[in-house]
Amino acid sequence: MSKLTLAIPSKGRLMEQTTDMFGRAGLVVRKAGHARGYRGEIDGLADVDVVYMSSAEIAEALRAGSIHLGITGEDLIRESISDAETRIRFVQKLGFGFADVVVAVPECWIDVTTVADLEDIAFPFRRRHGRWPRVATKYTNMTRRFFATKGFGDYRIIESAGATEGAPAAGTAELIVDITTTGETLKANGLRILDDGVILKSQANLFASNVAAWTPALENLRGAIADQIAHSIPGSVRSK
Amino acid sequence: MAAVSTRSLEELEAQARVLLSVFTNADYETVAPAIIQPADVFLDVVGESLRARTYVFTDPDGAELCLRPDLTVPTCRLHLARYADPGTPARYCYNGAAFRFQPQAADARHPREFRQAGIERFGDRAREEAEAETIAIVIKAIESAGLKDWSIRLGDLGLFSSVLDVAGLSPRWKKRLDDAFLKPLSFREALKTFAVSARSASASVPDALLSSLRRDDRAASEAAVAAYLDEKSIELIGTRALADITAHLIGIAEDREEKPLDAAAVDLIKRYVGVSGPATKAGAIIDKLLNGLGRGSGTALEAYDRRLALLANSGIDLDRVTFSAEFGRTLAYYTGLVFEVHLKAHGPESPIAAGGRYDGLMRAAGAGIDVPAVGAAIHTERLWDAVRGGAQ
Repeated sequence: MSKLTLAIPSKGRLMEQTTDMFGRAGLVVRKAGHARGYRGEIDGLADVDVVYMSSAEIAEALRAGSIHLGITGEDLIRESISDAETRIRFVQKLGFGFADVVVAVPECWIDVTTVADLEDIAFPFRRRHGRWPRVATKYTNMTRRFFATKGFGDYRIIESAGATEGAPAAGTAELIVDITTTGETLKANGLRILDDGVILKSQANLFASNVAAWTPALENLRGAIADQIAHSIPGSVRSK
Repeated sequence: MAAVSTRSLEELEAQARVLLSVFTNADYETVAPAIIQPADVFLDVVGESLRARTYVFTDPDGAELCLRPDLTVPTCRLHLARYADPGTPARYCYNGAAFRFQPQAADARHPREFRQAGIERFGDRAREEAEAETIAIVIKAIESAGLKDWSIRLGDLGLFSSVLDVAGLSPRWKKRLDDAFLKPLSFREALKTFAVSARSASASVPDALLSSLRRDDRAASEAAVAAYLDEKSIELIGTRALADITAHLIGIAEDREEKPLDAAAVDLIKRYVGVSGPATKAGAIIDKLLNGLGRGSGTALEAYDRRLALLANSGIDLDRVTFSAEFGRTLAYYTGLVFEVHLKAHGPESPIAAGGRYDGLMRAAGAGIDVPAVGAAIHTERLWDAVRGGAQ
């Protein structure tokens, strides 16, 4: 039979936590070939191919259907897949990789605490500075969707490659949309989260691609892996 | 649907020639604006919401460009390049490709690349005449292409302003509601909030600071805000200056003084937003809502009636025209009349043609002043599809 492809984060904290989680679930993942390789297998599951990819690549591969299962953050899925609800199945929340995607403004904007306030300041800002307020973010799609649901459209997105939280102080943007776990980095950069500015409470998930080539046998295999992972997560129930 | 075969391309081209001949016979000059446009103008005019549907890219020099999502803004830019006085009267028509990302995946009725055939009329001060003529020309073009089974939906953003006038609102209230009207998602919420107080008391600023601020003494007000930031050890960062923050706080302070919106006004606004039905009846319904106070020369209601009469004169069957007060609220750049031409078979999401008045667009495109502007565009693949469907 054809094999099931499972993608695992290839670096960083997410990789470590995923490895720990597999250990708890009794799934022993081995790298194939040399230790720095990008393929692997799971003991006792000969029909599973493990591939190591960056979290962003995993989201992209799930979208394209070139892998069956993948572990990555919900933030990346929501950002890179405009029709995530139909393309992707949320199989299991994993209880790690927590991060909130938030709208943050300079703390000195004591006149701004909600998205509605942003709307109030946008036009006067444009009159004075000749442009709409700029939002620095790498989450361009989520930012647009979120502000659209709030009815706010008078802003411009500046795509940020990194160190987004420094943009307001550097004068390259007025506010940001970024991920935060403890809020410390935002605070250190003189930023504050808007009262209604939490766009997504994200965590790592086991995702399945609905557009990958599934067979009944592969679906059974998915069920078995999902169950085993679910049992390793205290108090959890499979999402779907 | 981009033309999939040589034959369909030829048929589309033939149809375009029919449409353009109707336009040129009405004295519209054929132009071909550039396909690649500076992204800035579009994004400033239409905001980030259409940007999400615009193909934006960076050229090797780092300039942010886009594939035009419509031909209206490019035609404005062409007009500006041609005339030192942007108010110079001119009529243009075009047939060309426009490009939009389709979030729910492209299909035959929602292609990512489609051809618009349209007209734009700038600098014409006979407002209702220009509007009625625009609609009549579009209908004539569609009929010439072979489609008879159309209906028209009208909206009028000017009417809402006059409803607010009659409701006796202060200029401050009027402005806030006028802005909110364009955002249907937050409008109901805003109306609810405004009925309690001028704002949702969201500012995290102490009352003492707010009540110490004075519009007529900016310097002292700024000093008070600066002292407050200092006391809280909040550093002033970013491009938004102390003056910006203080000016907004003064506005918040003034909002607090403003009386909440009275119940009668809220009721009137809600009832206006609910008006929807035959265009010939809507005028009388709104007139009654306004107790006759919206009548008189130069009012939006008078313009509405006049426009309808002109439409009837130009041979449009008014039984095929409906009005909806809600319609037009989500289209960022329209300022008065909005209209769509529909086919029963296609449903409300797929109009054959759409247009309206956008007096502010030329300013946004760099004119420095508002210029009277009315226009419309026909979705030519949808029209072609409908005509072929009708012929089978």
